[in-house]
Amino acid sequence: MKMFKVTMLSTAVAFAALPSVSFAQDTVISVIKPTPRSAVFFPLVVGEALGYFEDEGITVNLLPSDTSIPYVAFIQNGQADLAMLDPNETINAINAGANINTVYEVMQNAPEGIAVLAGGEYTSMDDLVGTTVGLVSDRDRAFLQAALDITGHSIDDVQTVVLGESGPTLAAAIRDGNVSAISGSVFDWAALVANGIEIDTVTPEELLASPANTLAMNADMIEEKREAMEGFFRAWSKGMHVGATNPDAVEAMLRAAVPEEWEVEAAGMGLFQGVLPMNISTTERMGDLQADVWTSVQPRMLSSGAIKNVVDVSTFLNDTYIDAANDFDKAQVEAAAAAWLEAN
Amino acid sequence: MAVQDATSEVLVDTLERSLRNRRIAKHVGIFLTLTLLWELGSRMGWLDPLFYPRPSNIIRSFWLIYFQNANVWFHLYSTISLVIIGWVLGSMLGIGLGALVGFNTVIRRFLKPYVIVLEATPRIAVAPLLIAALGFGVNSKLAIIMLVCFFAPFINTLSGVINVNEERLELFRSMRASKTQILRKLVLPDAIPVIMAGERLALTAALSGALVAEFIQRDKGIGSLILVYTRNLNMASAFACIFTLTIIGFLIFKGMEKLDHYIAYWKYEGGRERMSSKRKRTMVEP
Repeated sequence: MKMFKVTMLSTAVAFAALPSVSFAQDTVISVIKPTPRSAVFFPLVVGEALGYFEDEGITVNLLPSDTSIPYVAFIQNGQADLAMLDPNETINAINAGANINTVYEVMQNAPEGIAVLAGGEYTSMDDLVGTTVGLVSDRDRAFLQAALDITGHSIDDVQTVVLGESGPTLAAAIRDGNVSAISGSVFDWAALVANGIEIDTVTPEELLASPANTLAMNADMIEEKREAMEGFFRAWSKGMHVGATNPDAVEAMLRAAVPEEWEVEAAGMGLFQGVLPMNISTTERMGDLQADVWTSVQPRMLSSGAIKNVVDVSTFLNDTYIDAANDFDKAQVEAAAAAWLEAN
Repeated sequence: MAVQDATSEVLVDTLERSLRNRRIAKHVGIFLTLTLLWELGSRMGWLDPLFYPRPSNIIRSFWLIYFQNANVWFHLYSTISLVIIGWVLGSMLGIGLGALVGFNTVIRRFLKPYVIVLEATPRIAVAPLLIAALGFGVNSKLAIIMLVCFFAPFINTLSGVINVNEERLELFRSMRASKTQILRKLVLPDAIPVIMAGERLALTAALSGALVAEFIQRDKGIGSLILVYTRNLNMASAFACIFTLTIIGFLIFKGMEKLDHYIAYWKYEGGRERMSSKRKRTMVEP
């Protein structure tokens, strides 16, 4: 009996101590972003499934965090190498004196939007004046501001309420008419649609061409981390290329890596189809920085109050890694994806 | 006489067992009835599926997350290990500091206001600040859990130490008992049941602390899995995760009850006899 107790106790202690043990030898790149591994940013999952990060000698350490965490502070104090930021967050950080550079555009079309109930009483941005609009997170306020500004209104013309990311809260709020619209993203709509809540978007066209979820880093670390960063972005771009050429393989990889997103088939598929085009660059070079778009979106952000000052984009857009990120044999990547699909 | 005693003991045992079985059957009956009503309510459309998924779907989700996809194990392991480590560390700090403050009046005078202020601070609200200060990872998660579960052991240890029976303390002193003897023979036996009550509260609080930490740092753990499921409106799996936490909480409670019975055995009926017969056995068997 005594022996049994000792064994149980030792096992419990060993069990409890295990998480602190790590055997990582690769260069670790820490990325702070809102979601854990997910279809939402599939190039990461694809890059890992095909071993591209490993080939580059990189281990990706994801720091998925609530948006209440100050992302920029994490790259400034070195706890994260890369932070996923929206354009207004980047500009505001630069205006606040943060020494950061945007080095890669994960999405080149805004996944954000303003959604209303399909067939309901609200059919345009004008209809939202005087109503309560739900925000999925505090980050979505800037997008709503910009959308209202474009249509000749201001954020003061509506009441806003942060609903959070919880699906039931969002669904009930829009379905029951507690809010006239929700300012969120394609990731949020997918679950609603899969659960039979039809929605329409009233997002102004002008807002759709906008960088989103861009990766920024500490400007002082650009050279020091060059090799690892180039490898990281090359692996990410390879994942993106698989998305563009072999979506079936991507779907299979996602089903294996994040089964929790596929338990409800319609929701999984809806999310995947929504995010697939979002993650594929429209520029010639994958992940390239669109200086003209960054310049054109700033006056709008300024007039809506989302940013305090316009910033010269040459001071923070840095495409130093982009060539290396695109330097790979596309045919080889396509063959590897096809072989993976065949084998799995 | 001995035969009569043995017979009545057997009768009492049988009666107790029968009562316990009836009690369990009653609870199972209530649970099944409620579950059936829930299922019926969902199927008839009386309950909003956004908030109340069908119990049959929840059972299916249990199968999915535990066996078919088996994706819950990794998160479960992460949450449970965090809870255990955080609870042990938080308790060590709480009991240690509680004892120190209890035994030393000078330290008590200086520390007390700070502890009161800290206790009045909503600890969950400082969680994002802790993560920003300590960085992402296990350390900040543990700090949140420690902060959440520190107070119950601290307060209970302090109260156990300072509320020693004065008359018995006088008696010990009049018998010229040393400080160590007073601690071992009087203070600890008096304080341990109170400390154990604090430990029970601390362990359940540790589970809540772990969840809060996982809601903010979404890398792993049951909390982060619940977020994924609710975001995708997969409420059946979210409920499966929530019920998993309920089961863990229940097991924690029962485990602590057992530990309490074992450590503070003199407090419970039959505890002294159990220990005495155990010691007798040890003395007989060399």
